Amino acid sequence: MRIAVDAMGGDRAPGEIVAGALAAVEQLGVEVLLFGREDVVRAELPDGKAPDGVELVACSEVIEMHDEPGVSVRTRKDASVVRAAESVRDGRADALVGAGNTGATMASALLRFGRIRGAARPAIAVPIPVPFATPHLLVDGGATTDARPEWLVQFAFMARTFAEVRGVSEPTVGLLSNGEEAGKGDELRKQVFAQLEPQPWFVGNVEGRDLMTGRPDVIVTDGFTGNVALKTIEGALRAAAGLVFGILDSTPEARAAGEVVTPMLLQGVTDYLDPDTVGGAALLGVDGVCVISHGSSSARAMVNAIGLAVECVKGGVVDRLKQAVAQREASDAR
Amino acid sequence: MPAETHSTHDPVTADEVFAMVRSNLAEILEIDDQQITLDSKFAEDLDADSLALIELVEALEEELGERTVGFSVDDEDLGDLATVRDAVDYVVLRLGGAAA
Repeated sequence: MRIAVDAMGGDRAPGEIVAGALAAVEQLGVEVLLFGREDVVRAELPDGKAPDGVELVACSEVIEMHDEPGVSVRTRKDASVVRAAESVRDGRADALVGAGNTGATMASALLRFGRIRGAARPAIAVPIPVPFATPHLLVDGGATTDARPEWLVQFAFMARTFAEVRGVSEPTVGLLSNGEEAGKGDELRKQVFAQLEPQPWFVGNVEGRDLMTGRPDVIVTDGFTGNVALKTIEGALRAAAGLVFGILDSTPEARAAGEVVTPMLLQGVTDYLDPDTVGGAALLGVDGVCVISHGSSSARAMVNAIGLAVECVKGGVVDRLKQAVAQREASDAR
Repeated sequence: MPAETHSTHDPVTADEVFAMVRSNLAEILEIDDQQITLDSKFAEDLDADSLALIELVEALEEELGERTVGFSVDDEDLGDLATVRDAVDYVVLRLGGAAA
């Protein structure tokens, strides 16, 4: 299996991205195509040479974090992320992994792979950490900010299928709203609720406080709300960690206690809450595998993101999503 | 100014451009093409976001590129296209024809 990696994408690119890609070749037994500016990527390779299983593909352009995604993908034909997406489209690679400009990675996948027929808009399936349990999924994490009700219904079908590919049996789906009762939510939520209600796997509305409880397996929302929810979790966790570690450093007694509990807390944070642990989020609805990793990805995050891409390819996620979309269309027609 | 183009086939009419825009947009947005009229507003009426418009532009460039060498849409002009009629007129103008 061959994975196309945007070596220029991410705050810590190309160093951490290349290191992660090389580690993935060792640990996961995959081949990697590294797309990027030849001189800077080569400088990160051992002795300046691509080892076995790694190929450097020289690109002259880069799409930066602040660039407008759609137009950049159109105008910078030789950008690393665009070329990486083209390699998947052309069958040279099995999946795209990028940690750069999320919109540009998404636009590259959408414009180069095309959409799954019947999938109106793409959605980002983000694994949400759940303490002492397997992460569950928040969909959409920011791909489609202005969504129609039928698109969210489609996201629910696709996300449920993606959860199955990831090993969840009979995944349940909830709708993020401002209250659990059926009548809660704005017009969008009410319409989505009505369309999902007949499905046996739909558990109804869930609230923001349910995001990290692991109940249900999939939480569906529009890309705007989903992105706000993700950033809220991130900020809240950071603040809570700051508070805990601040207390453990506040008095001599607390510092003594901190020497004992801090290593345990740090290990717990790394195991369950560190975004590098899950590595990346899958873009659902495009006709190819695309994993989007977070902007500050480390080498460890890249290994895990590539691992997720491998899982998607092996699980035949694109074909299964096509079936899910078709199944949803058929149920609409009945 | 429209880019210089070179037609290799019969001139493309405004009606043909509208038909192209309508069929491509219907496929991109997964909607019935009858919902799309010349007066449809991309954002308000069709929920077409910027990426959907770029998908449309790329599809038109590919389709028209087969008939008119050098046809392309200037990205800076995309923001001015609010309705389907705007898009049809723009394409026709770049092809050197009469507006819809």
